[in-house]
Amino acid sequence: MMANTDMIYLDWNNSFNILRKAHKASLFVLIIGPKGTGKTSLVRKFTSDLHKELHSVNFSLRTRESHLVGSKTMNQGEISFVEGILIKSMKNGGILYLDELNAAEADVLLRLDEALDDRRQIILKEAEGQVIKASQDWFVIATINPLSHAGTKELPPQILSRFPVRIRLDYPPKDIEMQIVKNHVSVTTLEERELERAFKLANGLREAASLEELYYSPSLRESIAFAKLIREGVTAKEAAEVIYANVYEQWGEVEYRKVMDMITSIFAS
Amino acid sequence: MSVDYKQRYVMRNDVLINIGTFLARRWSGKPNTIVTLKDGAIPFVNIQNFTISLPSLNYYLGTEFQKYRQWRAALWYESMRIAHSTKVLSYDLAFGFILNTLESKRIEILGLGEWEGMENEVIFNEGISWLSRPLLNALYGKQKIIEAFSQYLLTGYIKGELFGGELERVHNAVDFANAVVKDALYNNRSTDWIEQQVPQIIKLLQINPLITIPLIAPRSRIGLSLSQSDLMKQVERIVKTKNKEKDGQIVKSIVDGAQLLKEFESLARESKRSESKGYASLEEFGLSAPDSLAVDERAIYDNDLITRLKAAVRYWKSGWIEMHDERGDDLDTDAVLESQPKPFFTDFKLSVKTKIALLLDHSSSIEDEEIEYKKATIALCESLKFLGVSFAVYAFSTKERKVKCWIIKRPEEKWSTINARNLAQIKASGGTPLAEIYNLLLPVMKMFRPDILITLTDGEPADYGAVRSAVTSYKMMGIRMVGIGLGKNVDSAVNIGQNLKGLEFEKTLAVSRLQDIPRKVLSLLQI
Repeated sequence: MMANTDMIYLDWNNSFNILRKAHKASLFVLIIGPKGTGKTSLVRKFTSDLHKELHSVNFSLRTRESHLVGSKTMNQGEISFVEGILIKSMKNGGILYLDELNAAEADVLLRLDEALDDRRQIILKEAEGQVIKASQDWFVIATINPLSHAGTKELPPQILSRFPVRIRLDYPPKDIEMQIVKNHVSVTTLEERELERAFKLANGLREAASLEELYYSPSLRESIAFAKLIREGVTAKEAAEVIYANVYEQWGEVEYRKVMDMITSIFAS
Repeated sequence: MSVDYKQRYVMRNDVLINIGTFLARRWSGKPNTIVTLKDGAIPFVNIQNFTISLPSLNYYLGTEFQKYRQWRAALWYESMRIAHSTKVLSYDLAFGFILNTLESKRIEILGLGEWEGMENEVIFNEGISWLSRPLLNALYGKQKIIEAFSQYLLTGYIKGELFGGELERVHNAVDFANAVVKDALYNNRSTDWIEQQVPQIIKLLQINPLITIPLIAPRSRIGLSLSQSDLMKQVERIVKTKNKEKDGQIVKSIVDGAQLLKEFESLARESKRSESKGYASLEEFGLSAPDSLAVDERAIYDNDLITRLKAAVRYWKSGWIEMHDERGDDLDTDAVLESQPKPFFTDFKLSVKTKIALLLDHSSSIEDEEIEYKKATIALCESLKFLGVSFAVYAFSTKERKVKCWIIKRPEEKWSTINARNLAQIKASGGTPLAEIYNLLLPVMKMFRPDILITLTDGEPADYGAVRSAVTSYKMMGIRMVGIGLGKNVDSAVNIGQNLKGLEFEKTLAVSRLQDIPRKVLSLLQI
């Protein structure tokens, strides 16, 4: 997939510079941060600026080795090997984006490890031991969510060592969050004031989640969604309820009411 | 929505502390803030250690819902002090009382700038607390002057009458105080700067700064019954003073507090739920519930230990662990074996559905290391919560020469700081009457039916024979009995472990380092 060169990304913590230098030095990069902090947007923008092809894999417990490497299929009586995304990207070059790598199962990581070591090659047991060597401009960027997130596991040290450059991407400060939202939605001064309140709410919820007082941490996507709803004429309090509060109902009524109380305290009736 | 309807609800203190702690942390912006309850005490905050002390709901006037609203407003004010003040002095002396009153006004204005939605609650609180304010005519001398100053500064009017020189003194002092607050807000001045202005106010009021104030804090109870129509009139008056455009509908909406009613109902339902699930009944079985809510549990929280422990069991959360095998039937050995000595793996499901009951010995033998012991058990409980394990915690000690079995955490409760507070207030004392405790717990265990009952003890029960018999009867119920011996050094741990072996436990473990307790217990979950 060729990334969209027109996309806007606010590089508020100077990640591009590190990414560029790591790319130049052929050092694979690991981006660490909670969900919804713009990790994927950063990679897409970086790839589009380089005019490279982006190969993405989104890992989950169900991602199997065959998705990555490929598998044999029968076509009109002929058995052939269909390459997975890892092999395609190694052959074609470009950027391989391994999203939420720490959600992957151990067998998947083991295969990946083989391709990521200094030899940059993989032996295809699925295709008669064929050796695939990566193209010179093959580059890998992976992201991981903090371990507190559901379904995440610690990456084994040997996989971590394949990504010597590590960028931390946390939730941005309020003024940056405002700029990011404004890049997606144009807001009036009045709406901007409501947005500031929404950020205050979101930051409170993020802090509570980091202390395990709540089980969910709102992302930048929620901030953008909030701006879009108030743009559509939904009142700030109502928008806050549907975007920020309702999700907590799944952990019990008291959890939901705690968040609703924050909304009641922040937004005037 | 009638007043009677709201009156039916009763709020439990632990539920109150749970939401109070959450809100105080968010409002103050200080994530380590704690809330304690002290019956009859005025709301107070220790800014240095982020501790808010509030009275229980009964301190306030009105229906249960109105009491909750006042309690919540008091919590907000104290949280705002943490956020914006650097000092809170005692209300007992005139100097401190005046400084705190000035700060109340300043932090209210600053707070409402950030928490706009609190405006109606602040008005309601002012209205209802006004009804319990003393009538100035009933006060005399310096007390009257100080109370008049507080009333006039905070609300803009006084309750009762002041004459001649007294009125002028209060007027002048309030004018000066208002100028001080305005200056502080405009120039972003601190509490210390405001404190420097207090002598001038004292001079204007012509009082001694060290005069004792038998009056309680601003907006507190004097013991009058509450008339709902008086409340409505008072709120109307405040609304008019603050904003003349607001109409009668707004007054009714402020008095009704519909925006918080659902929250209150939900908390009251939660209170009822924990009660009906055995709070009272466990006590009927002879178990005791720790009842102090003015306990700081932070002393027994060892965050490093908790983090280390959680990191150690983190992979359990996914439900799977990688087990390396010598042989397998899937991977290409030629490709992988050279670099990996044990390349094969199978996924092995961990059992974290085990139901656990923990019994903690708090006899005098652990007195020397009580804090470390509590830290280790807190870390264990935090890890069990993290893993989603169903567990209950009990402790035993001797209080006033009576053996007590304390309920630290009921099986149906979610582990929270309230449970940590329960543990924090158990003082280690007395002997180890294990058999007696097992007999007390027996009906409770029959209800909970844990898979494992883990007893942490010094291993020296008062009656070996009776303990053996009690352990056997538990085992016959299908409960796996595990004894963990706590020794001060390796030798004593080994001896205690030997003692426990003679008590018919199915499994006995011994620890000489208290930090090892959580890992020992968690290792039992893998079985």
